[in-house]
Amino acid sequence: MGMRLTVQVQLVLQALLHDPAREMYGLELSEETGLQPGTAYPILLRLEREGWVNSRWEDVDPRAEKRPARRYYRLTAGGAVQASAALAGASRPRGSALRRLAEGDGVA
Amino acid sequence: MMPAIDPRYDARRKRARVAVFITAGAVVASSALGVTRFSGWRWLPWALGITLIIVFCAVSMNSGGSPRGRRGMSGLGGRDLALGGRLDGLAAHRRHGLVMVSRMMPGPAGRRWLAETESVLWEITAVRRGAAVRSYVLSGPRVAAAMWAHACLRRVRPGPRDPG
Repeated sequence: MGMRLTVQVQLVLQALLHDPAREMYGLELSEETGLQPGTAYPILLRLEREGWVNSRWEDVDPRAEKRPARRYYRLTAGGAVQASAALAGASRPRGSALRRLAEGDGVA
Repeated sequence: MMPAIDPRYDARRKRARVAVFITAGAVVASSALGVTRFSGWRWLPWALGITLIIVFCAVSMNSGGSPRGRRGMSGLGGRDLALGGRLDGLAAHRRHGLVMVSRMMPGPAGRRWLAETESVLWEITAVRRGAAVRSYVLSGPRVAAAMWAHACLRRVRPGPRDPG
């Protein structure tokens, strides 16, 4: 089943595609996209199920770091190609307009 | 690495709790509808259904529980989050809300959701925390539905397990 490219999905994909090799965690993605973390989570889950993204728990000792481990997400090789193609094919408002739309509907 | 999770998140006990609620609901519904007034064999599905639920409930309760015994009744004591629930500034009712939402999800998926939620809320600024909690709680039922759908599909078509 193909991904439905809502504005929020596009924002998440854009953030991940900015540097496909970079791993990002939930809060980072939320700040980069302007989406609420609770909005970004189901999108990441769906991307992961579709095989566009993979994730892993950060390998740290929470007691030593004095914070819980983060869950990092990164585009897979295939996912990066598919995401680029999907974004290129999507008719959408770009850049700041896209961001404003998402901010106005942060919990959707 | 999966962060430490409260041992009360035991799938069997979770099922047992759900079964208790379903049984109670079924009994109340049966009483309200007046099962005894069903004519012919129409009472049979009700009786069978309730019997199955009670048996399932009893089996789940007997086989559930950790070797260390039951620790607390509701699991809403505010210490369900890893690191002792040290989310400064996060009101207890909000924390409870997150725990309850996580319990709507299948066991491992709920644990992962809660751990990830905790991880983000730990690092987010206090100003944004309230809105973030709201967004998690609001999107929770949708996430739970997706997770249950995925879990059911995986039972029908077994495949590789989720990394968790």
